[in-house]
Order: sequence, then C-alpha cells, then structure tokens
Amino acid sequence: MMIELKNLTKIYELNTNDKVIALKDISLSINEGEIVVLKGSSGSGKSTILSLIAALSKPTSGEVIVDAKQISKLPDSFASVYRRDNIGFVFQKYNLLTNLSVEDNILLPLIPLNPSQLEVDAKIDEVMKKFEIIHKKDTLVRNLSGGEQQRVAIARANVNDPKIIIADEPTANLDEKLSLNFIEILRELKSLNKTIIIATHDPLFFGLDFIDREIQIDNGKIA
Amino acid sequence: MLTPEVLTIFILNSIFGFFSLIAFVLSVKIYLDWDLSSTSPRQYKLEKQSYLAATIIKYIFIIKVPLFLFFIFTLDKISNVLIGAMCGAGVVDATEYGTYLFILKIINLYLFAYWLMLHSVDVKDEKQPYTKVKFGFFIVVFFLFFSELILEGIMFSSIDIDKMVSCCGNIYSSSADSYISEIFSVDTSTLLVLFYGNFMFLVAAYFFKNRYLFAILNLVFIIISIIALIVFFGTYIYEIPTHHCPFCYLQEDYYYVGYLIYTFLFIGTFYGLVVGFMQKRENYNISLLFNTLFVMLLSLYPIVFYIRNGVWL
Amino acid sequence: MSSKINIYLIKYAINSILRQKYKTFFIVTIFTFLVFLLTSIFFITNSIRYELDSTVDALPQIIVQKIKAGRHYDIDVDKVDEILELSGVSDAVARVWGYYYFENAGVNFSVVGIDKYENQYKNSLQSIVNKFDFEESSDEPFMVVGQGVKEVMNSSYFKEYFNFIKPDGTLKKVNIRGVFDSDTQLESNDMIVMSNETIREIFDIDETKATDIVVKVANPQEVSMVASKIKLMLPDSRIITTQDLKISYQNIFDYKSGVFLALFIVSLFTFFIIIYDKSSGLSSEEKREIGILKAIGWRVDDVLKEKFYESFIISFFSYMLGSTLTFAYVYIFQAPVLREIFVGYSQLKTTFELPFIFDLQTLFLVFFISVPVYVAATIIPSWKVATLEADEVIR
Repeated sequence: MMIELKNLTKIYELNTNDKVIALKDISLSINEGEIVVLKGSSGSGKSTILSLIAALSKPTSGEVIVDAKQISKLPDSFASVYRRDNIGFVFQKYNLLTNLSVEDNILLPLIPLNPSQLEVDAKIDEVMKKFEIIHKKDTLVRNLSGGEQQRVAIARANVNDPKIIIADEPTANLDEKLSLNFIEILRELKSLNKTIIIATHDPLFFGLDFIDREIQIDNGKIA
Repeated sequence: MLTPEVLTIFILNSIFGFFSLIAFVLSVKIYLDWDLSSTSPRQYKLEKQSYLAATIIKYIFIIKVPLFLFFIFTLDKISNVLIGAMCGAGVVDATEYGTYLFILKIINLYLFAYWLMLHSVDVKDEKQPYTKVKFGFFIVVFFLFFSELILEGIMFSSIDIDKMVSCCGNIYSSSADSYISEIFSVDTSTLLVLFYGNFMFLVAAYFFKNRYLFAILNLVFIIISIIALIVFFGTYIYEIPTHHCPFCYLQEDYYYVGYLIYTFLFIGTFYGLVVGFMQKRENYNISLLFNTLFVMLLSLYPIVFYIRNGVWL
Repeated sequence: MSSKINIYLIKYAINSILRQKYKTFFIVTIFTFLVFLLTSIFFITNSIRYELDSTVDALPQIIVQKIKAGRHYDIDVDKVDEILELSGVSDAVARVWGYYYFENAGVNFSVVGIDKYENQYKNSLQSIVNKFDFEESSDEPFMVVGQGVKEVMNSSYFKEYFNFIKPDGTLKKVNIRGVFDSDTQLESNDMIVMSNETIREIFDIDETKATDIVVKVANPQEVSMVASKIKLMLPDSRIITTQDLKISYQNIFDYKSGVFLALFIVSLFTFFIIIYDKSSGLSSEEKREIGILKAIGWRVDDVLKEKFYESFIISFFSYMLGSTLTFAYVYIFQAPVLREIFVGYSQLKTTFELPFIFDLQTLFLVFFISVPVYVAATIIPSWKVATLEADEVIR
C-alpha cells in the first residue's frame, strides 16, 4: 500500500479570526509493509497526519493518495467505507464504548456491513483470540484494566483485516511492561505485512529494529 | 369538513410543508453552489446539508405512500356523510378541486419515487454526478408538492355537507357532462386493441432494449390502462355492465383488489419511465414484470366471467 | 432502496435506547399517555355511536312532526290516513309520548303511550304488549317501567304505584305493573310505557291529537322519496328520517372528537418541542459515541438509519402500549371518568355497557398522528449528530 502525501496543508478554523495551521505543505511517501514512526511533541501535527491518512478529515490543500486512489476529497460515505475497509485505527484514548461489552465493541465496525451471523462470529472470535481477550468477551469495557482495554482497541482495529494500522500515542497510558507488550503485538502485525504508522513521543519506540523509518515532525513540517 | 381523519391529514401536511420548505431552501443552495472538488468550508457545509435535504425527502415519501391509502379511506368514510355519495368517487367529485388533487397526488408519487431512485444512483458513485441535477429537480417537485398540500386543504375545507353529490354511477357513465363521458364514446373493441397492442409494443421494446420507446410506451400505457379499466375491465370486476367506477373496487366487497391493480400499474410504469433516464437491466425487468402482472390480473376478470357464465357482458 | 434489514443495527438501536434509561422512560411515558388518551376517546365514541346507531335502526324510518312557529306542536291524528294512502308506505302510526318531570328526584321520565290494538312500531313495544297484558280497563290505569325508573320511584317511596301530577294540578294514580328490559339499555332505562288513554290524561292531550306520526316504508331505498312526498302533502311538518339522525350523530361525534383532537394537537406540539429540545441538547457522551462510530467506519447514512430506528422503535412501542392499555381501559374497565364526558345527559342513562368494536381505521388514525410526528421531531437533531466531524470529537 503506497501512501503518498502531496503538499498537504491543514488549517483549522476555530472561528473566523482564530486559525491554527496544523500542517504546512507536507509531502511524504510510505511503502507497503513499512512501519513508520512519526516523532514530535504534542501539537506538532503528527496526529493531523494520521487523521488525514484515515480520511477522518479533509486537507485544506494538497492530496492524500492511498493505493493509487485519491482519498482526500472523497465524499463522506466513501471516505467512511475506505476507512472501514482499509484502516485500523488505535486511538490515544482507545475510544471504546465503555457501557458495552468487549464483544459488542469489537462488533461495531462490522455493523454497517450487515453481515451474516456466521461471518460476524468468525471474525470477532478470531480477533479476540489473537489479542487474547476472548476470555473476557462479555465483560463491560469499563470493568477492564488499562492493558485489557488496549487489547480490545487493537482487536477492534483489526476486525476488518485492514491493510493499514494507525496508532496515535498508543502507549501514553500504559506502564512499561504493557508498552513492551504492545510493541510485540506491532512486531507480529508487521509480520502480517501490514503497513503501520505510529505517532508517538515515547522513547521506547526509538531505535527499534523492526521500525523502518522515523520521521520527525515539528510545527507542521517534516524536520 | 373537519373529521378527525381530515384533521390528521392536515397535521401531517403541515409537517410536510414545514420540512419540504427546508429541503427546498437547501436544494436551491446546493443547486447554485455545489462543487464536489472544492475544499472550502462552504462546500463541506453543503455536503452536510445535502444529507438533511435527502433525509427529509425520504421521510416525506415513506409517509406519503401509506398516507395516500389513508386518504382514500378518508374519502370513503366521508362518503357516508355526504348525501348521494356511495364511495370515494362522489367525494372527489363534490368539489371542483377533487379530481385535480387526485391527479396531482399521483403525479407527485411518481416524482418523489423518481427522485429517490436518482438519489440512490447518485450516492453510489464517488463523483456524485447527479447531485446538482437531483436537487434542481426537487426545486420543481417542491412547487408541485406544495401545491398539492394547499389544494388538499382547500378541497377538504370546501366540502359542503348540504350539497348533493353525484354517485359514481352518474359520474362514470356516458351521460356525464364532463370529459369523462368522452372516454365512453370509444368503441370497446378499439379500446381493447389499443390496450393489448400497447402492451405488445412494450414487450417488443423490452426485447430490443430501446429505452426511449419503452419509456414513452409506458407513459401512454398509464393513460390507456386507466381508460380501459374504467370502460371495460371494471365492469367485469363488478359483474355489472353499467358500473364503471374506478374507486369502488378499493372497498372490502371486492377484496380490496383495487389496491393490487393500482400498485401493479404504478410500479410497472414507474420503472418503465425510469428506464428512459437510467437504462439498467433491472429497471426493465421490474417494469415488465409488474406491467405483465397488471395485464394478467385485469384480463383474469372477463375471462373468469366468461367461463362461469358463457357470455360476455 | 436497501436490501436486507440490518438486524445488528436494530439491536444496536435498542441497546442505545436502553442505555439512556431516564430520557427514554420519560418520553415513553408521556407518549404512551397521549396515545392512550386519544385512542380512548375514539374508542368510546365509536362504541357509543354503535349503540346509538343500533338504537336508531330500531326506530321507525320516518317521523312526522307538526311545526308551528318553528316549534314542535301536536299533530292531527287524521293525517295518518292521508299518509297511509301514499304509495310505498307500509304503515303509519300516531304516537303519543312526552317527558314527565319528577320534581322530587329531579329527573325526567320518557313516557310512551301505546294502543293495544294497533301494530306497534317497535318490536320491543310489541313484546311489552304481549308480556304485560294491556287488556285491563281504564279504572285501574297501569304502566310498565324501565329499571332506572323503578329505582328512582322506589327511592321516593313509590313502590306499587306512582302519582302523576296533571296539568290542572290534580293527581293521577297509575299502578306499576312491571319492569321491562329492552334491546339496548341506553334508551329504555328511563322509559315508562302506558296506554294511550292514560298518557293522554296525564299530559292533557286531546283524542284527535298526537305527538307525532311514525311511518314505515316497505322499501328502504324509497325512504327519502316518501319523506319528500309527505313534506309536499303536509307543508307545516318536519320530517326526520333515520338517515338524518345517523348523519347528525356522526357529526356530533366528529365535533366532539374534533375538540379533543384539537387539544391533543396542542399537547403533541408541546411534546414535539420537548423532544426536539431533548434530542438537540446532545450530551458530550452521545457526541463522543457518534464520533467513535464514524471514526471506525460508520457513514452518515448509517448513523441516520440508526437514529431513525431509535425514534421509530420508541414511538411505535409507545403507540402499541398506549393502544393496548386503551383496549383494557375502555372495554374491560368500561372507561371510568372519560365516558361521562360523552354520555352524561341524564342521570338515568349511565348504566350500559360499551360494546367491543375493533376499528382498524381508528388505529391507523392514531398511528398517523403519533408515530410520524415523533419521527419528524427527531429528523433535525439526528442529522446534526450524524454529521458531526469525527475528527473534532475524538481528539
């Protein structure tokens, strides 16, 4: 999966006088199967890059091309479908529905597809087993530990078998042991030839052997 | 004439009026400014608003269809209070607006259904090529729809209980002094030839997949079918040679077969007309299927009558 | 046009409804109550109208009254012969009847006179004539009364007989020979039946006069024609046909239902505003939830569909609940409190049973007034939520 960012600029208009320039004319290419780490302090724009690749927002100018397809200007329904089919997003705050069970949370991305019962069960079970939370499938998410919640978030991100995994500050709320755990999961995902992009300022990620590239982002530009 | 049923219709019409007005304003904005390739905040806002307009139009259509049936029920019920009327036909005839309202309602059903079809095709395509067109189309539809709402209000308000109305027996006969009597001047065999002939041409157009011909033939088919139904087939449903009313077989006595007949005709001709704009295999198929069902259902009555009685009416 | 129904989406919608317990409970309660109120009113009027229609059907087809100075006057008995000569008329009978005001109890009795030799115009009267032998002579005048009348007279200590006060102030003692039941309770409860001679004495009506004339027509289709003939023949008369009565009943009921409907609309409108307000005031929790869904791939259309399912389920559920409660309230508990509004004319008329009528049209009516209105109220709020930028919400 070739991801290409071409001259991307993103300006947030909070109100008519207040503007935040998150990205300034950024260009970047990521190859299929690569693991890329975006380094930078908060506010540097790395989260914005992730959000643009996931078609969660649209650029003010420039293009985002994924797998030879221009996704930056897709109408909402197509952007959502693209995201659903190709992107597994692990958010910083996990963004799980805490009043639902583990199984129900993982089910969420599948609902709009209107799948058959069999397909659903198969996919969910597979991903719950893989990330080792199947034993808690009926537990409400709010009753899980931090590490367990993270595994649910990762499982949900993988349930549609996406080609691209995006993680925004994945270890921000974890202790070292769980962080290392997460890194192991990443290693495994890489072996499945997934393209992985991580935005983080956690030093644990720097200098790892299986990371292909580290890109520094400062003030909306590549350093 | 303010029965609870009429009041219900008024309430829903007010809601429709209010929301369709919103959809209208949005349609104008979209028609003027839509540009999918633009990344301005204005365009993004329009994209969001297009969802609202589409949702409103869908809502109106979903409610409109059963409401139309309810409308017919209401006409039937009012006919009990109006002297002289024995079915909805008398009520429609009670005011000068009735017939126009009815025709307008049916036209609007076709138009709304078409809009929905256009919308679903538009949304499936990344480029959303029909967005401007469909909202421009809605601008036209809006005026017709709003007129229908107003006309309905006027019609129901002006029904006068004390005035005698004609029964359908009078309205749908050759002695009526409206244009309806004209249709009875056509010779029955000519009419049947036209009817079945039209259908045959339809089938032929289907096999040759000539879209414009198919669409036009469907349009003509609507008119010829209704005339044939009133003049000829209706009498076999009632088994009375002088009973021509197109409303009475919507009643219980005839197993509500009227609803089936009109539904078949509507779906068949609707998809037939759509083919003129969007040539797709399934539109052809649905159209042909329902038109065929329609013709078969209609033909069944005279045939069964002949088998049972050995003579024609 | 979508293909299959998405069960998962429906389940999610139900789950979402259940997760917002308080808000849902509040809405369902109010909505159910409104539906209940409206449906009850319709059911009650339908049943009463059915009763009334049955009563009207039992009446003679044409009633001829004399009108003088715009008011009802006693009609000449010899007009009966004139009417009998009209073609299509199968029978004509002069009736003597009136209302007697019993001051002690403050109630009106309907007093009906019958002539034992003539054909009775109502089957119930015929059976009374048969059952209570009216052969007895006039020095012991007697009457047969309805249940309600008996009770009122009892409570004023008139057990075996009753003293009517004649117009000239003297008393007329009439024995109570028995109590009858009739086809429908609505109209017989306050009735007294006695011989024509007795009633003429009590009300001081001359032999040559009668209160009105009832006419039976052989062919029901010809009723209006005969009515107009009579009108031509007797220009100072008012002709009332059963058709007229039925129409005027329907109009009265439509009017009364209409009044309540108007009230209902006001409450519905208020409800509409409340719903709109509640749906619009999006909790940050709800916004976050939708943001998450969109971030993981839900389209605006998916969110809209889910919201639609939510509002439809809530309103439809309330509708079903309200209607079911109404069935129980009106037909099992006989609608205490509400029926008074429609029935209460005189104290004697209240003890009858509302017949069970399953009116599909009313159920559709209430459905159209409730469910689409509720869903309409949620269109704009749902849209606002569905078009939230996922990006902004989940940061």
